[in-house]
Amino acid sequence: MTVESPAELTVRAPERAPAAPPAAEDPAGGAAIVTRGLTKRFRGGQVAVDGLDLTVPAGSVFGFLGPNGSGKTTTIRMLLGLVAPTGGTHELLGLPLARALPAVGAVVEGPAFYPYLSGSANLLRFDAANPAASGRDAARRVGRALERVGLSAAAGKRYRAYSLGMRQRLAIAAALLTPRRLLVLDEPTNGLDPQGTREVRALVKEIAGDGTTVFVSSHLLAEVEQMCTHAGIMSHGRLVAHGTLTELHAGRSARLRVETPDLAHAAGILASLGLADVRAAGEEVTAELGEHAPDRVNAELVRQGVAVRGLAVARPSLEEVFVGLTGEGFDVDG
Amino acid sequence: MRTGKLVRWGVPVAAAAVIGAAVAAGPVIAAVGSDPVLPERTASQLLADAAAAAERQSGIQPMSGTVTKTASLGLPALPGADAAGGDSPLALLTGAHEVKVWYGSGERFRLALPGEMSEKNLIVNGGQAWLWDSASNTATRLKIDLGPQAKHTPPTPQPTDMTPQQVAEKVLADAEQHSTVSVTNTDQVAGRAVYQVSLAPKDPSTLVKEIKVALDGETYVPLRVQIYAKDSAEPAFEVGFTQLSFAPPAEENFTFTPPAGVTVKDQTITGAELAKTDRMDDMPALKTVGQGWSTVAVVPFELPSDAQAKQAVDSFLKGATPVSGTWGSGRLIKTKLLTALLTDDGRVLVGAVTPDKLTELAGSR
Amino acid sequence: MSTAEALVLPATRTSVTWRLLRSELALTFRRPRNLVMMAILAAVPIIIGVVIRLVGSEGDAGGMIAQTAGNSLMLTVVSLFVLVPLLMPVAVAVVAGDAIAGEAGTGTLRYLLTAPAGRGRLLAVKYLNAVLFGLALTLTVATAALLTGLVLFPAGDVTLLSGTTISLGEGLLRVLAMVGYVAAGMAALAAVAVALSTFTEVAIGAIAATVVLIIVTQVLRAIPQLDWLAPYLLPTRWTGFDGLLRDPVPMSEIWQSLLAFGAYIVLFCSLAWARFTGKDITS
Ligand SMILES: Nc1ncnc2c1ncn2[C@@H]1O[C@H](COP(=O)(O)OP(=O)(O)OP(=O)(O)O)[C@@H](O)[C@H]1O
Ligand SMILES: [Mg+2]
Repeated sequence: MTVESPAELTVRAPERAPAAPPAAEDPAGGAAIVTRGLTKRFRGGQVAVDGLDLTVPAGSVFGFLGPNGSGKTTTIRMLLGLVAPTGGTHELLGLPLARALPAVGAVVEGPAFYPYLSGSANLLRFDAANPAASGRDAARRVGRALERVGLSAAAGKRYRAYSLGMRQRLAIAAALLTPRRLLVLDEPTNGLDPQGTREVRALVKEIAGDGTTVFVSSHLLAEVEQMCTHAGIMSHGRLVAHGTLTELHAGRSARLRVETPDLAHAAGILASLGLADVRAAGEEVTAELGEHAPDRVNAELVRQGVAVRGLAVARPSLEEVFVGLTGEGFDVDG
Repeated sequence: MRTGKLVRWGVPVAAAAVIGAAVAAGPVIAAVGSDPVLPERTASQLLADAAAAAERQSGIQPMSGTVTKTASLGLPALPGADAAGGDSPLALLTGAHEVKVWYGSGERFRLALPGEMSEKNLIVNGGQAWLWDSASNTATRLKIDLGPQAKHTPPTPQPTDMTPQQVAEKVLADAEQHSTVSVTNTDQVAGRAVYQVSLAPKDPSTLVKEIKVALDGETYVPLRVQIYAKDSAEPAFEVGFTQLSFAPPAEENFTFTPPAGVTVKDQTITGAELAKTDRMDDMPALKTVGQGWSTVAVVPFELPSDAQAKQAVDSFLKGATPVSGTWGSGRLIKTKLLTALLTDDGRVLVGAVTPDKLTELAGSR
Repeated sequence: MSTAEALVLPATRTSVTWRLLRSELALTFRRPRNLVMMAILAAVPIIIGVVIRLVGSEGDAGGMIAQTAGNSLMLTVVSLFVLVPLLMPVAVAVVAGDAIAGEAGTGTLRYLLTAPAGRGRLLAVKYLNAVLFGLALTLTVATAALLTGLVLFPAGDVTLLSGTTISLGEGLLRVLAMVGYVAAGMAALAAVAVALSTFTEVAIGAIAATVVLIIVTQVLRAIPQLDWLAPYLLPTRWTGFDGLLRDPVPMSEIWQSLLAFGAYIVLFCSLAWARFTGKDITS
């Protein structure tokens, strides 16, 4: 897990080889998104993104994490050409932006549609704006996209009358109008009910299964943990961690938890075995496991007469990694 | 990446520059282009040439064009000047005014005063003349009866007082006596090379700095008259062609058939009436004091008794300066070109002179 | 699902632009607000016609009223004369001022641009849409006035402002030319409104700014001391369509006005382009 050499992370590139991208078209060597020193300083001096070096391997599902105001949306806007970077470069699918965009579906900062149009009329409108989509089979494409997000029944309803979850689904449907090589989703599960969240997760998996790269920003760490192969963590406009999920976890060692009434005794033994950060609280003693084998530790405890009621090894969650990197504080980045 | 910022903003800046240049450069290009065209002439040579040309041509050459009059006399905004419409007498005092002119051979011409969604026309064809006013939807058949004594007076109704010819003749007549006269040969009016005759008054007490008359370099027809006030680079008054063609205008311009459903009136103008309006001697009380450029008109004046008119006069006089002297007291209004004094003993003095000169002349009864 | 197919441009640039323009036009001409505006403006000639019919028959009303009562074509001219100085420009300003700012306000601009519509193409389509709305509005008003005129007043030869009489057919041709002239004037205004629209994310701001600009120029035009400025102001040029009712038609003035409209279009479209192609879309 390192920020300095993101290139080495791309080694663990897709096992699910993407169906389409011809190698000749991809000078970035299988990377769907590459940024180098990408920087955005807003008028007024606010640095929203600061020297971002990001490589998103083709075929990966990349979770883009970070606290509020850490620069996720700004990065996505720069990638899509909505905001001009004040420094650095970026490339999508190894193509010039105008040629890449037809192959990129995007949800940026929530849904936005014409309130006086129906769901399908809205999709037809955005389909008409895509130079790579032909008008002839537009209706069929729109129907299929609505079906994929479960909105077929509400296709004729005015957008004004949609619920938050329906709007979010419609935004995803718009991103899926034509076959895409890259999907950029900025908080796609925002406002969805548990079923909706599950469906989106399933959808993302299905899309990724077709070889499409998915770049998804989210706050829901459990979400990311379940659907992503890679993740990057933003803090104050900088990328503080970046790699496969395994790599991200690797940086933090597991903790051993021993349930026992003999707190002081057990703690003493663990310390004497060389386990770090030994803490005793309630009916439990915990310590960092490090390189020690849990079964050996258990045997030692029992040998010295500690009444072990339970023993467990807890791997750190992504949340702990996240909080460890971005801090516990509740204040937003700004 | 996107086009550079400099390149992007360069496009509208370039567009603005090209448009600005096109707007401003028209006269400049014309002036530069005309430089070598006309041979040099002194004032007297020019007048002689003009007189000879007038002899040869016997009357006005066929032509058509637009005469524009601009006056920026520095008058206070006149209440009701806009409401009165584009061709009311009040509107004539301020701002631009446009007349279209068509001259045919013989005694035929047409004058049109275009207004917004309206037009007044005077069509003269020999002894037969029509006045058409679209605003009131009336056509007036004018019969011009010159009488036996006035054979040589051209049938010139009032609108021609506006044409450069008339104004120029009047100005040229008493030129040398009170003014320095000079001639330049580098200007253009309505796309034609012209001689500019300039008259600068020798009298220091007049407000007039200079009067310029432009004569067509080929036909010696006066094309423009400009009056400059002291301390002003722009002419305070200007009347001249802004568009001109010496091609004979289409015959349709000189015929008029009253449209169906229009009120037709008849009116006869006698030669005596014409002469009267020409000399303005229907104002018998007008007298003048002073000499040359300092000539000042004196008119008796009574505040109107009608309340509404009184209010209008009062509001107009609000901006006037109260003045007094050995001659009495009164109120003074000064514009760029004219000064007017309303004395408390019921006289109005108007002249193109400084306020000092005017009050001085107020003493000489 | 072949992802390669997404990269194959299915058609020429023009057909792509045409498809976006069609979508834009559908949006404009289905939007209730725009239809209501068109209906209100189309009602004006009907109201004027009925009023003149009632008043004009009561004896000797002069000028335009008498002419309108006397010929069915004149109602079109009178209606344009009434609507062109303010009401039609306001309606065009609503559509043109909404062009970019409206999309920015609803957030749909970011989705249009990632679709990707292309900034230059989107701007061109938005401007064309406003121009076509102006043309449709002028045609609607003219058609409503023509039909009302034909129902209420006698058809026949037309008297021009210069007092010349022309046939009904030529009169119709001249009305058609007037529609073109007015639409060109509205196109010039649309350029100003679209340019303002690229500077804000609040549509009502761009619309209000355009309307204020129209009113300010109308006021400037009425100040005699600023007469030198008047020929460069759009409202002065708009009413120049009355030249088509004169004999001879002052073609040089009409060309000058059309040139002035062209200058406004070039200047403000290039301003809009410079602004919009470099703008950060943060809405
Ligand atoms: N238009 C703007 N002008 C100035 N500053 C901005 C602008 N847009 C965003 N910022 C600032 O840039 C920083 C990053 O904002 P951004 O929206 O990218 O954060 P984010 O990671 O998407 O947050 P969230 O999780 O809340 O969506 C914030 O501090 C924000 O205040
Ligand atoms: Mg965000």
